[in-house]
Amino acid sequence: MKYRHATVLIAAALLLGGCGAAPAPPQAPVAAEAAVQAEGGHNDTDVMYLQMMVAHHGQGLEMVRLAAKNAERGEIRTLAQAIEVTQRDEVKLMTGWLKQWSAPTTVDHAPSAHADHGGLPATGPEEIAALKKAKGAAFETAFLTLFVAHQHTAVEMAHLETKQGGNAEAKALADRISTSRADQIKQMLQLMNN
Amino acid sequence: MRRLIAYPLVALGALGSTLVGAAPALAHGYVSAPPSRQALCASGAVADCGQIQFEPQSVEGPKGLKSCNGGVAGFSVLSDESRDWPAKAVGATATFTWVMTARHRTSNWEYFIGAKKIATVDGGNAQPDAVVTHTIDLSAFPGRQKVLAVWNIGDTANAFYSCIDLNVGGSGGSGGTVPSTAPTTTKPAPAPAPTTKAPAVPIAEGGAGWAPGVAYRTGDKVTFEGKTYKCRQSHSSIRSWEPSIYTLALWLPL
Repeated sequence: MKYRHATVLIAAALLLGGCGAAPAPPQAPVAAEAAVQAEGGHNDTDVMYLQMMVAHHGQGLEMVRLAAKNAERGEIRTLAQAIEVTQRDEVKLMTGWLKQWSAPTTVDHAPSAHADHGGLPATGPEEIAALKKAKGAAFETAFLTLFVAHQHTAVEMAHLETKQGGNAEAKALADRISTSRADQIKQMLQLMNN
Repeated sequence: MRRLIAYPLVALGALGSTLVGAAPALAHGYVSAPPSRQALCASGAVADCGQIQFEPQSVEGPKGLKSCNGGVAGFSVLSDESRDWPAKAVGATATFTWVMTARHRTSNWEYFIGAKKIATVDGGNAQPDAVVTHTIDLSAFPGRQKVLAVWNIGDTANAFYSCIDLNVGGSGGSGGTVPSTAPTTTKPAPAPAPTTKAPAVPIAEGGAGWAPGVAYRTGDKVTFEGKTYKCRQSHSSIRSWEPSIYTLALWLPL
């Protein structure tokens, strides 16, 4: 019984192997969320950081999608599109790690909930509503202003993680976020004043 | 607005307050356009500014100051008049735009030139709008001016300070800079500092090494650490967007 079963599997494997002889399309690379596991332990700050960043990214994605559609200048639309695709992948990476840690991927409230009393601020519904309303040049001003603030917040949250987080992969992610957001802020401040 | 799914929060609530207590100085604002001195530092238009380039939103001090650095010793570069701050050319009025990382209750905004207050905008002790812009008449102050913009917070003793260098009535409202040494003679003004104009972004050449500050277009190829990559999404490259497993949305390994 067992042997027969095994034979079938081997045959199948050979058949599959045979398919490989056909000219293969360029191999799709393994996505980061599949390749990079956040092993080696984590603490509460890591969990909180990833949860808050998943929510923060969700709001950011709403804004860049509006900008990719509504900005008049091509440079701004291109920046928004590049931010959209990179942040989408970061969300997959972060939710993958949270699931790996058996932690929820959402927080109970928007990160802006603490903003009134000096806590961790972020973009909230009013910011996004203001952006949806704005048109033309006013849209660009609103987007750049709100998104610069949004990315300042991302940098502040990243510093919290690099100081108090425990997981090496999560801290490396925070480092990348801190660097890329600082450079995005640079670009946006230049776009605002050109 | 999409609501986030509720999550039982006993533990997280406690954790949240821990994080908040330990957070660095958070949540503030500055004038982003025309660019304040801290915005010029953060955008890289003015170099060697120190810590302020990373947190232009943090120039916070007690109300009533008249200093560009809000009395914060670590940000003294902002009050350094020898730094050659480029002045933005504006018309007879200028529209000031604020970046706010938290919308604090606002007593008012004040604008000064020298010791003279040129405008007050009431904040009604309420949370400001998401996007705050103020159009201020500067027609009485032609030429090079340093405007001090102050955001007075309603529920604390503090304010946020931004200094903006302008050339009022210069060339019709936007673009261009004038040298920070006011040209008092009739000699032709030197060319504007190139740093505040649109950066001349080099275009990618086929297969060149990846570099930051390059406008890559979909289809461009670069090499990085011995491998070749093809651009999948046009972008201006920045640090940490180099080809890697984390940037597959931008770069496909070949």
